[in-house]
Amino acid sequence: MASVSIDNVAKFYGSHQVIHGIDIDIADGEFVTLVGPSGCGKSTLLRMIAGLEEISDGDIRIGDRLVNDVPPKERDIAMVFQNYALYPHMTVAQNMGFALKLKGESRAAIDARVKEAAAVLALEPYLDRLPKQLSGGQRQRVAMGRAIVRSPQVFLFDEPLSNLDAKLRVQMRAEIKDLHQRLGTTTVYVTHDQIEAMTMADRIVVMKSGVVEQIGRPLELYDRPANLFVATFIGSPAMNLIKGRVGSGGFVGEGGVVLPLPARAGASAVTYGVRPEHLTLDESGFRAEVVVVEPTGAETQVLVRCGGQTLVAVLRERVDLNPGDSIGLKPDLTAVHLFGEDGRRLQQE
Amino acid sequence: MSDLALSPRKPAAPLNGYRIVQSISVFVIALVVISPLFMLFIASLKDDRFQILADMGSFRAFWVDNPTLNNFREVGNFAGELAFGRYLGNSLLILFSTVSLGLIINSMAGFILAWGSLPGRALILSLIIALYVIPQESIIMPLLIIVSRAGLSDTFTAQILPFVASPLYTFLFYQFFAQLPKELYEAASIDGASIFRTWWSIFMPLSLPALATVSILMGIEAWNQYLWPILITQTDYARPISVAIATFFGQDSIFWDRAMAASVLMMIPILVFYLAFQRWFISSFVGSAVKG
Repeated sequence: MASVSIDNVAKFYGSHQVIHGIDIDIADGEFVTLVGPSGCGKSTLLRMIAGLEEISDGDIRIGDRLVNDVPPKERDIAMVFQNYALYPHMTVAQNMGFALKLKGESRAAIDARVKEAAAVLALEPYLDRLPKQLSGGQRQRVAMGRAIVRSPQVFLFDEPLSNLDAKLRVQMRAEIKDLHQRLGTTTVYVTHDQIEAMTMADRIVVMKSGVVEQIGRPLELYDRPANLFVATFIGSPAMNLIKGRVGSGGFVGEGGVVLPLPARAGASAVTYGVRPEHLTLDESGFRAEVVVVEPTGAETQVLVRCGGQTLVAVLRERVDLNPGDSIGLKPDLTAVHLFGEDGRRLQQE
Repeated sequence: MSDLALSPRKPAAPLNGYRIVQSISVFVIALVVISPLFMLFIASLKDDRFQILADMGSFRAFWVDNPTLNNFREVGNFAGELAFGRYLGNSLLILFSTVSLGLIINSMAGFILAWGSLPGRALILSLIIALYVIPQESIIMPLLIIVSRAGLSDTFTAQILPFVASPLYTFLFYQFFAQLPKELYEAASIDGASIFRTWWSIFMPLSLPALATVSILMGIEAWNQYLWPILITQTDYARPISVAIATFFGQDSIFWDRAMAASVLMMIPILVFYLAFQRWFISSFVGSAVKG
């Protein structure tokens, strides 16, 4: 195991810059997720850690070793690819033992390590099968097995669950997290799925257009997003954002709706944010017209319109609402987010 | 073609003008291709070389009254300085050497072009494609001079070495390797495989269709070489069977009977090889040519 230090790293393709001077320090044994929309540079950054992409500027260290010019095989890392990249002509055991064979380890040692990894991943019955004879989830496990037999310093995962169906994804998510807890290997995990990021990571790095928008623990990002991008990217359904200005009676939205402000709120706020679950039914709140009601059993998601703005509220209680009803909604003032002209969060205590 | 061979038979469409023309065209093309081979086989069973010549202009060329294997026996007992079997052996040696070396060299080149970090890769690839359109015959004289100056005249090496590296086969391998997922190459490099090991242990075993295609095309080409061995061999020592057959065509007389029997014998190995792998060959050739 080792720490990973990314220091002012940049990547150019010709004159086009895709990574703009990124700094991330990943502690020994930490599980860090790189998350962001397509094209944000998260996979490129992971591939730079792996040594599959050259580093245009800055330094990457694994442990204390500068690895900028170290080839992938000497970085002591293991990578799990989105499409698994299993060798189709080799059996599961051969796939898992290939790296050890290349290292010149004895047959007995390879067998022992492969069996050990297969036991961890419940792959023992499949060791003699070819990848094409396995299901998607089993292939994914073989890809992880191939990574863990080597006992690398760092695991790199590049959207490993994207090719699986929703149910299997949830199951594998738990398995990867469990594996990390058991092995304690430093892990960098790339995903575009914020739920995956939230549920698995010790810390999340939110990226956009080659820039780090925020680094923090999952709930930190959820509770205190640094800017509008993080506020909308993390959380589902996304945070309600209302443009407007601070007036005498509270925050006056563009359509005229007046929202209560927390005490000591900054006067420069131009965007008012509140997560759907922080809106509650309250006749003393602002008035809104129900547009769509979506009961899921555990909660009810309500789409409402007020003053030209469309908002979403997630209500924990069972409610009897119909489209066209007029309801009162009240935001939880301890969970209101205010953003300034530049889209950054305004500090409010 | 492979689709026709593999897909279940469709119910016959009703006869119409288009279908009749289509069927006749297919029949005529098949006739044009098969009739010389059939004629060759029939002639090889005729005992009288003058009769063969006389029959050639008529339908009797496709019929034999008293079939005999005498010609084959005579060919077996004779030919020029060396026994006929020896020429066959020469041809087989040239075939297997050219194909095995060719598979290694062309696949290595194709692999590096597809995945290696080679400076000027695009330029090299364009040059290889450009070379492909140059007919072999047009470079045969300079090649002859080079090989002679290198002291390789009248050797097997002279008949193998110039045909080992080929722009067509390098390009076929390049195209095949390039369509395999990049992650396989990357996974191998993370696993610690050298570029040689990645080529040999990962990409070669996955390239059986391309290997089959190139083996068959190269094999046919090597087997059918005629002009180059005639130019480069002065004695019978390294001559292939194709040149040996020419000895039946003397200045004074032509032994049509033996020439026909020898030609049939020459065709058999490559025909058996082709028929055995026909379906695989057609599908892989279509595959390597189209996908990419």
